[in-house]
Amino acid sequence: MSEAAKTSVANALRSGIWLPIAVVFALIVFFSFASDAFLTMRNMTGILGQASTLLLACLGASFVILMGSIDLSVGAIVLLVGAITVTVLNMFDLGVSALFVAMVAGGMLGALNGAIYAFGRIPSFVVTLGSLSVFTGAAWEILQGRAMRFSSFAFEDLAIGQLIPSVPNIALFAFGAWALMSIVGQRTRFGRTMYSIGGGEAVARTAGIPVRRYKIYAFALSGVAAGLAGALAVARLGAAGPTLGQDLLLNTLAAIVVGGTSLSGGVGGVHRTLIGVAIIALLDNGLNLMGVNQYTQMIVKGSVVIAAVLVGQDRSKSVTVK
Amino acid sequence: MQAVALNAKGLSKRFGESVALADVDLTLGARQVVGLVGENGAGKSTLLNILSGLLRPDRGAVDLPGRGPAPHTYAEAQHLGIARVFQEQALIGALPVYENLLLGVEARFTRFGQLLDKRAMVAKAQAMVDEANASIDVRRTTDDLSFSTRQLIEIIRACLAPTMLYGQSAPIVLLDEPTASLERGDEATFFDLVARIRQEGSLLFVSHRLTEVLSLCDDIVVLKDGRFVTRVAPSDVDERGLHRLMVGRERDSDYYHEDRQRPADADAGAAPAFAARNFRREGAYEDVSLTVAPGEVLGIGGLLESGKSAFGKGLAGIEAPQAGEISIKGDPWRAPVAGALIAEGVGYVPAERLAEGMIADQSVAWNMVLPSADLFSNRLGWWRQRKETAVTEAMITRLGIKAPGPKARSSRLSGGNQQKVVLARWLARDLSVLILDNPTRGVDAGAKEEIYRLIRDLTDEGVAIVLITDELLELIGLSNRIAIMRHGRIETMIEAPPEDKPTEQALVTAMLAGALPTGVAA
Repeated sequence: MSEAAKTSVANALRSGIWLPIAVVFALIVFFSFASDAFLTMRNMTGILGQASTLLLACLGASFVILMGSIDLSVGAIVLLVGAITVTVLNMFDLGVSALFVAMVAGGMLGALNGAIYAFGRIPSFVVTLGSLSVFTGAAWEILQGRAMRFSSFAFEDLAIGQLIPSVPNIALFAFGAWALMSIVGQRTRFGRTMYSIGGGEAVARTAGIPVRRYKIYAFALSGVAAGLAGALAVARLGAAGPTLGQDLLLNTLAAIVVGGTSLSGGVGGVHRTLIGVAIIALLDNGLNLMGVNQYTQMIVKGSVVIAAVLVGQDRSKSVTVK
Repeated sequence: MQAVALNAKGLSKRFGESVALADVDLTLGARQVVGLVGENGAGKSTLLNILSGLLRPDRGAVDLPGRGPAPHTYAEAQHLGIARVFQEQALIGALPVYENLLLGVEARFTRFGQLLDKRAMVAKAQAMVDEANASIDVRRTTDDLSFSTRQLIEIIRACLAPTMLYGQSAPIVLLDEPTASLERGDEATFFDLVARIRQEGSLLFVSHRLTEVLSLCDDIVVLKDGRFVTRVAPSDVDERGLHRLMVGRERDSDYYHEDRQRPADADAGAAPAFAARNFRREGAYEDVSLTVAPGEVLGIGGLLESGKSAFGKGLAGIEAPQAGEISIKGDPWRAPVAGALIAEGVGYVPAERLAEGMIADQSVAWNMVLPSADLFSNRLGWWRQRKETAVTEAMITRLGIKAPGPKARSSRLSGGNQQKVVLARWLARDLSVLILDNPTRGVDAGAKEEIYRLIRDLTDEGVAIVLITDELLELIGLSNRIAIMRHGRIETMIEAPPEDKPTEQALVTAMLAGALPTGVAA
C-alpha cells in the first residue's frame, strides 16, 4: 500500500466516515430480519425513488451547512417550485424543459435568501425560517389547498422512467448531481471557499475572500438543487400537493448532519451526505414496513438527529449557527 | 507589619506555547494601594484574571487570609469581596444604569420571589452613586451616557459593590486601566474613590499612566514578559526609572539584522511603494496618512487602545475605513478593498493567528494558498491540486517549516511554524507591500529570529513593510521610521537609522505623552 493511500485511509478513519457506513449496513441487516418485504426488488426501487428527492434537496443545503449557515427553507422551495412547475406545465407545453424553469426559479428563491442573509447581516436561521413561511404560503396560494395534476408524459418519464431496469430515472439524476457536487466540493475554488468560510469566516475575510458573494452563491445553489428536487418530485408523483416537501425540513438537516457535516461548519462535505440520505431513507422505509406509526417515527428520527449532532460536534468550537 | 489581604504565590500560566505568567508572587496588604505596571503582554491582565477567579493558574496558589478558599468564578470572587474593572467595558448598554450597578444581585430586590422591586433598586443604586459623589441619574439608559461616565459607573460598581452590596468591610478592588478614558471631572471622583478604598480595603491598580501610578500607590510591582521584576516604593523611583524597569532589556542589533536595514536614501526620488491618506474610522482612528518607500520598514507603535491594529485592518481593506485612500507605486488614489489589494501585491498578517490568521483544522497547504485562489484555480474554478502541493512543498523547504508535509493539519504545528505558514502565503504571491500586525506574537525565540531575517530578505527585494507591533525591541530593531499612534492619530514620527536607534524609554514616553492625570506634573 502506498504512503498516500495509507494516510487517506487513516484520514477517513479519523474523520469518522466509517461510523455512518456501519450504521447503513446495520440498518439493512436489521430491517431484513424485521420485515420480509424489505429486501425485495420492488421495495428497493421504492426506496431509491424516495431517497432521490431527499438527496437532490440536500445537495445545495450541504454547502450551506458546510459554510456554517443553515437553510430551513429547502422543503418550502421544493413545494413552491413544484407548484410553479405544474402551473407552467399546464400553461405551456414545455415538456422536459420545465426542468430548467424549475432550476432557475429555485435558484432565484435561494439567491433571495442569500442576499437577505449576506447584506442584511441577519442570521441565516432567521432569514430562512421567515422565507420558509413565505414560500409555503405562496405555494398554497397557487395550489389553493388542492393537489394540482399535470399531463405530460415526457416530463413524468424524467422521474419514473427506468433507463436501467428497476432504477427510476430520478435516481440517476440524483446520483449524477451528487457526483458532480462532490467534485465541486473537493476540487474547485467554490468548494474550497465553502470549507474556508465554515472553518473560519474571519480568517477567510482576512485572506481577501469575498465572503458575502460566496454566501449568496451557496444559497442560490441550495435553491437550484431544491428546485430540481421539486420538479422531479412532482414528475414522480404526477401532481403537486400541499404536503409536498413537508418532511424535508427535518429530513434534509438530518441527512446532512448524520452524514457528517458539522453544524458549526468547515467539516464534512456534500460527498458524505449520500450516506446520511441512505440512513434516513432506510429508517423511513423500514419503520413503515414494520408498521411503526407516524408519530413514533417522528420521535425516532428527531432523536437520531440530536444523537448525530452530539456524536459529530466538535465541542471545542462554539455551536452557533449563523 | 501590615495585615495581608491577598497573597499570591508562584503563579504560572501558559497559553499553548506562550508563557503568560511565570512564577509570580504578589502580596496585597490591608488598606494598601498597589500599582501593577508592565508593557503590553507583560502578564498584568492574566494576573488579574487569576485573582478574580476567571482563570485557573497552572501552578501556584492564591491565599485570602480570613476570607476562605480562592475563588473559581467571578461570582465567587464577588462574594469574597473581590471586585474588578475590566479593560473592556462590561456594562450592558441597553439596560438602565441602576440595573448595571446591581447586576448579579437582583435577587435581593424581589417581591414575591420573582417581581423586581424597581423602586428599591433605583434607591440603592442612587445611594451608591451619591456615596461616590458622582452626579449620574441611575434611571438613564447606559448607552446614552458618555464613554467616560460609563467607565466611572464601572469604577463605582467595583469600588462600592463589595461594601454596599456584598457586606464586605474590607473590599479587594482590582482595576485594569480604569483611567484610560476618564474625563477630568470623572477623574476627581475616581481619586476620591481610591482614597476611600485606602481607608477600608485594598486596591490593585493597573495603569500605563506612570505618573498616576507613582502618585496614587503605596507600592509598585513591575512585571516583564510574565515575570516578576521588582517591587518598589514610589519614593525610591521616578518615571524614567519605572520605564527602565518595565522595558529594560538589552537590544541586540544582530538579532534584528540592523546592518541589513535599507539606507534612507536608497530610493530617493522614487515613488513610494505604498501610500495612504486621510484614513478615518469612527472610534478607532482618524486623519492618518503615511507613505512607505520600497524596501523600507515603517513601524507603528502605540498603546493597545491607540487604534494601530484597527488602522492596519483598514490599510489592508479588511475592515474598510469610513474615509481614506491608498495608492500603490504611485497609481491613482482609491479606496482600499481587500481582494483588489491582494491582486496588486499587498499582503496582511493579522495579530490573532488562530482567530483571523489561519484555519487550524485545515492543512498546511490549504492555509498557504488561502488568499490565492486566483493563482491556484483556472478560469472555471478547477483547483490546481498539483501546483498547490508543489508550491507548498517549496515553501516548507524555503522557510524551514517543521511540518510532516503539505497535507499535515495546521493545528499540529507549533506557534512559530504556524506563523511561518501565514507568512508563506504572501511569499507565494508577487508581493510589493506587506502589512504585519504583531508578526511574532506567541512565537518562540528561534522562529522569531527567522521571521526577522525573512523581513530583511523581503526588504532586500524591495518589498515595503508596515510593521504594527507591541514589542518595543522589535519595533526599534526592524523599523526605518517609527510612527507612534495615540488616540487614533499618528502623533510622532521617529527616525530610526541603524546608527541612531531611539531608546525604548523615548518610545514609551511618546506613547504615553498627554495621557497624564490632572494636577500631576509630567
